[in-house]
Amino acid sequence: MRHVVQVGDMKIGIDGDVVVTHALGSCLGFMLYDPVARVGGLLHAMLPLSRINPQKAEANPYMFVDTGVVRLFNEIYNRGGKKSRLVAKAAGCGRPIGNNEMFKIGERNYTVLKKLLWKNNILLDAEAVGGTVSRTVHFYISSGKIIIKTGQQETEL
Amino acid sequence: MKPGRMDKIISDVKSFPSMSNMPVKILKLIDDPQSSAAKIEELLRYDPGITANILKLTNSAYFGLSSRVGSVRQAIVLLGWRHLGKLVVASCVNAILDKPVPGYDLPAGELWRHSIAVSVAAELLAKELGISANDEIFTAALLHDLGKLVLANYVREDLQAIETAAGEGIPFHAAERRVLGTDHAEIGARLLKSWSFPLSLVKAVRWHHDPDAAKEPRAITDLVHVANMLCLMIGIGVGREGLRYEPSQAAAKRLGLKTRQLEFVASQTLQWANELSEVFEAGQANVGSPPATGAE
Ligand SMILES: [Fe+2]
Ligand SMILES: [Fe+2]
Repeated sequence: MRHVVQVGDMKIGIDGDVVVTHALGSCLGFMLYDPVARVGGLLHAMLPLSRINPQKAEANPYMFVDTGVVRLFNEIYNRGGKKSRLVAKAAGCGRPIGNNEMFKIGERNYTVLKKLLWKNNILLDAEAVGGTVSRTVHFYISSGKIIIKTGQQETEL
Repeated sequence: MKPGRMDKIISDVKSFPSMSNMPVKILKLIDDPQSSAAKIEELLRYDPGITANILKLTNSAYFGLSSRVGSVRQAIVLLGWRHLGKLVVASCVNAILDKPVPGYDLPAGELWRHSIAVSVAAELLAKELGISANDEIFTAALLHDLGKLVLANYVREDLQAIETAAGEGIPFHAAERRVLGTDHAEIGARLLKSWSFPLSLVKAVRWHHDPDAAKEPRAITDLVHVANMLCLMIGIGVGREGLRYEPSQAAAKRLGLKTRQLEFVASQTLQWANELSEVFEAGQANVGSPPATGAE
């Protein structure tokens, strides 16, 4: 089955599924995978911290990196994922041209993700982050293969 | 620059299928203290399509009305004059902005979704900043990328040269200008000027990527600039250019914008943008339905 993850959402895929998300600009795409349980999830989070809009976070925790990443881990554990086997990858977190701090939402998204992972003793296995591009992610759950598309270019993550 | 191309682009601007002159007429009526709901209704009577769209929008969850509105007059009474202009303009331009935009790699519907999202974000920013929102802000935001429709084929033709220029790290509209002699912001402004839109709206469109280059700073221009950048960043209608534009430090400063406010507006924009942009696709039965998320 093909699952499409919209902005501020997360989808879980099982063996045979492909999980897709489009137009990752400054948003974080976070992919978590257990190769033995063959289960994976893809989060498309827009903003770093849920405290910016607690009401929204209540209705939709996947809009924010802090609440979304925690939720994704729990969903994977609920479906048989084991922490020792998890493969974590990140994409997105892009930024516009220039050096305007206020508009570095992508960088802030990335920082919050790294802090969360570090606290939990998890390392990113791969990442395609930063830059001024918009990215599309295809996550194949059977193999764990992740393809990142930017314009015409395709690369495996 | 290829010889004669600028002339060709200008002639394309002149022959661009004009949208109905309804928006300009209605905006004038709204500004006129002498006008009445009856006058507006009369003007709209000749355009049932636009009337239907206005009612659909009025009944969308965005406006949160508890009872269903069945006439333009009722819509004016319930929503007030303030909202009418933007309803009319959105209803008129939906068909134009809904098309695919080659060159910029925007599939059908994406420019419309982007335009609506920038309008919503600009209004939310104005509200956060305590700037009194008016129809003009919404309308300028809605039309800011209109020029892309004229420039699309030229961009596609010279994509290689434009990409090469942009590859040096200059913003995408500057790359358009270097190769084509103009950019989509200027073309959009020309179109709107020729249709007699108010000057402040024309200026906001003209400088939406470069608000510091405007002769005099205006909040409307800064708001459209920030809202556009934000919507691209959160992936609404982001095309071939990706995020290759530069947010102005000075614009954010002029507005008194804080990071917290920018992020808060981002968190509010998506839902309303989806809600409004889908009103036209969903037809009648969109009243009070939960907003769908994102587009594919
Ligand atoms: Fe633009
Ligand atoms: Fe835009």
